[in-house]
Formats: sequence, structure tokens, C-alpha cells
Amino acid sequence: MGEFFDRLSAHIHWVVFLLLEALSGFMVFQFNSYQGSVWLTQANTAVATIMEWEAGVLRYLRLPVENDLLMRENITLQYNLEVMRRELAQLRHDSTYTEQVHSKVFSGEDLLPARVVTNSVRQKDNFLVIDAGSHDGVEPEMGVLSGTGVVGIVCKTTPRHALVMSVLNSHSSISCRIRGTDYFGYMKWNGGNPLQVSMDDVPRHARVKVGDVVETSGFSNVFPPGIFLGKVAQVHDSRDGLAYALEIQLSTDLSCVETVCVIRNKIKEELDSLYSKR
Amino acid sequence: MIQVFFIRLVRFLALVAFQVLLLNHIQLWGLGTPMVYVSFLLYMPLVSQRVPTLLWAFSIGLVVDVFSNTPGMSSGAMTLTAMIQPSILSLLAPRDAPDNLVPTYHTLGKLNHVSYVMLVYMVHHLAYFFIESFSFYDIWATILGMVVSWTVSVSIALALESFRHGGR
Repeated sequence: MGEFFDRLSAHIHWVVFLLLEALSGFMVFQFNSYQGSVWLTQANTAVATIMEWEAGVLRYLRLPVENDLLMRENITLQYNLEVMRRELAQLRHDSTYTEQVHSKVFSGEDLLPARVVTNSVRQKDNFLVIDAGSHDGVEPEMGVLSGTGVVGIVCKTTPRHALVMSVLNSHSSISCRIRGTDYFGYMKWNGGNPLQVSMDDVPRHARVKVGDVVETSGFSNVFPPGIFLGKVAQVHDSRDGLAYALEIQLSTDLSCVETVCVIRNKIKEELDSLYSKR
Repeated sequence: MIQVFFIRLVRFLALVAFQVLLLNHIQLWGLGTPMVYVSFLLYMPLVSQRVPTLLWAFSIGLVVDVFSNTPGMSSGAMTLTAMIQPSILSLLAPRDAPDNLVPTYHTLGKLNHVSYVMLVYMVHHLAYFFIESFSFYDIWATILGMVVSWTVSVSIALALESFRHGGR
């Protein structure tokens, strides 16, 4: 027995090594599973606080660029306003199509504004952390939008922060369709260019043109139908040649998203209560 | 003993801060990020207590993981590197070296020191990208990312080493 313990203590580092590797392996696999712990990510309160501080510094450093962008946007908006005013004066009857769509889309939704704490676009699996968490009513599987389109889906929450799986994540797949048709598919990201995603399995008889608008389909209840995702940039044949594979130019540049909205979906709550009554 | 602990702690915090506040923002052509916290293991002496070294390596990996949303990946790779680092060092150290030899340009010689840094980083990057490839399918992008990330990490690590010895 004594000999056994002598041997064990001489090789104790192997035991520790195997334990630590097993622990690491466990963390890798449980993070990839849906119920994984949020405490081992950037949404962890201590880490998020540090990153918030860092984001503050970076935001400050980016102010000149931001100012420049705002100014340009202002000029464009003023110009558009002028154009609109003239057209409105001519027409004087119905509101524009986009306005109708948006007011219809967001009528059943409760939007919560939030700020981006950390963000990445060039990893293989990108995540964002936002400064709204379970205290603000944010829950996993809620959709996150920016002013220009879809950003991602909440995957884990802490009281004050939430970890958001970006559209630019190899595990992300968002149900989408081509505006004006009923052809739907799933939007995937294959790495590389953060402005380019793909949509596979669009049937051959769907007449898809470059420049067609791609929007959310609303099938999953995460996003309401009709939210702008991007435009078709290229139409390829899929690998088996039976369908089209579309390259889509994203409408949102995720590398410079600063403020977002979380959709606190009432429809989903209603659905869930229906299920629980059953 | 306490002194050694504090020196390691300061090194630990400095490397983590360098990694998460600066290097994590650098993406090399969308392929990989330099990972320089591995340098923590470079300073381990020729004969050290294995268990504390393993625990240190695991912890620095874990902290970096938490800051990069990659739980388990760096910590696994770092633990493996900590296990192999003593063998690499004893291979490259002079035969009559004392047990407490700390690997530097002077104690190892220039060529051996550079190979030491390259090999330790190689072990870590191989392990890290191997673990990463479990969750990603594009094998060529993974290999390319590994080579690019390794090259840049080693360059930064060697630059850090030369600072450590007053630019010589």
C-alpha cells in the first residue's frame, strides 16, 4: 500500500494533467451545448464590467469617425427628407410601403434598446455582449436587431448582460425568405467576409434575381416576418446542382454595431402559455 | 517562495491584460488571432514543480478563455503545453545546466532559445487549433489560421523576450 502511494505521488502531475484536460474538454462540450454555463463567457458580470470600461475607451477613441459618419448620414437624411417632402406634396395620400411594413411588423413587439459591450466579427464563432440582461426581461432565444437589420439571437443571459450569438457564427441559422415570394431557406455564415452570408436550398423554379431583398420569414417566432436581412449579391448552383445557393450581401455591418434592440416577443410568451395550459 | 508566487502573478496579469485588451482585437486577415499568453510558460525553470506549473497554465488559459468566449480551448491547450514544456527545455538546455536554470538568450544560446520559443508555441497552437477544429469543418482554413497565428505569436513573443533582456 505504501509503495502504491509513493508511486502515485511521483506521478501525481499526470493525475492533475488528466483531470485538468478532462475539465477543459468538459467546458468545450458543455459550452457548445445549448444549456451551457454563461459564467465562462464574456457575459460574466466581472468580465463584462471590465469590457464595458474598455468599450467606453474605444467608443471615445472612435468619436471622430462616428462624428463623420453621423454628419454624412445627416446630409443624406436631409436630402432624402427634401425629396420625400416634394413627393409627398405631389401624392398626398398613402404612406410609403416600408413604413407600412415596419409599423405592421413591430405592432405586436416590445423593443428594448441596449448597447453593445463587446463584439467580434472575424472569429469563426462570433458573439456580442449587450448591456441588458434577465433583469430587463431578456431571455435566451430572443432576437436582436440594429437599425439596419438583424444582428443575432440571445443565447445566454446574466442579470445585467446577455451573450448574443451573432449572425456571423458557424452555429447560427436564421429562417429567411425572398421578399414577395414564399420561397424560404436558412441563412448561414461560412466564415470570411463579415458582410457576406449564404442561403442554400432555394428551389430552381424560384425566379431569383441579383438585387432581390431577403427578409426574415417569421417561422421561428424569434424574429417577426419581414425584417430586412440583405440583398442577393450572387446566384450560384448548389453543390448537387438541384437548387440555387445564394450569396447575400448583409444590410448590417456587424463590425460597427453600437446600439441594438432586443425583441421581447409577446407572441412567443402567448405560445408558451398555450403549451403550458395543454 | 512567496516572492516567486508574486512575480508569477504579476506576469500572469500582465500577459492576460496584453492578450485580452490588445491582441484579441487583432485579427490577421480573418484567419487567426495572435496568442501571446503562452509566454507565461517560457519562464518556467528547467526543473520546476509540475503540479503548480500545470495549475498556473490551466488558470491563465481559463481566464483568457472567459474573455474570448472559448471556454476550455485555451485552458486545454495550455495544460498540454505545460506538460510538454519541460521536455522541450531539457532537450535544448546545455548538458551541465543547473536545475534552476531560467531559459533566456544567455543561458540557452541564441539559436536554442529561438527554437525553444518556437517549439513551445508550436505545441500550444497545434493543440489549440486541434480543439477548435472539433467545432468547425473547414480544415484548410484551420491549418492556414494556425500557421499565420503561430508566426505572428512567435514574432511578438521574441520581441517581448528581447525587451526582457534589455534589448540584447
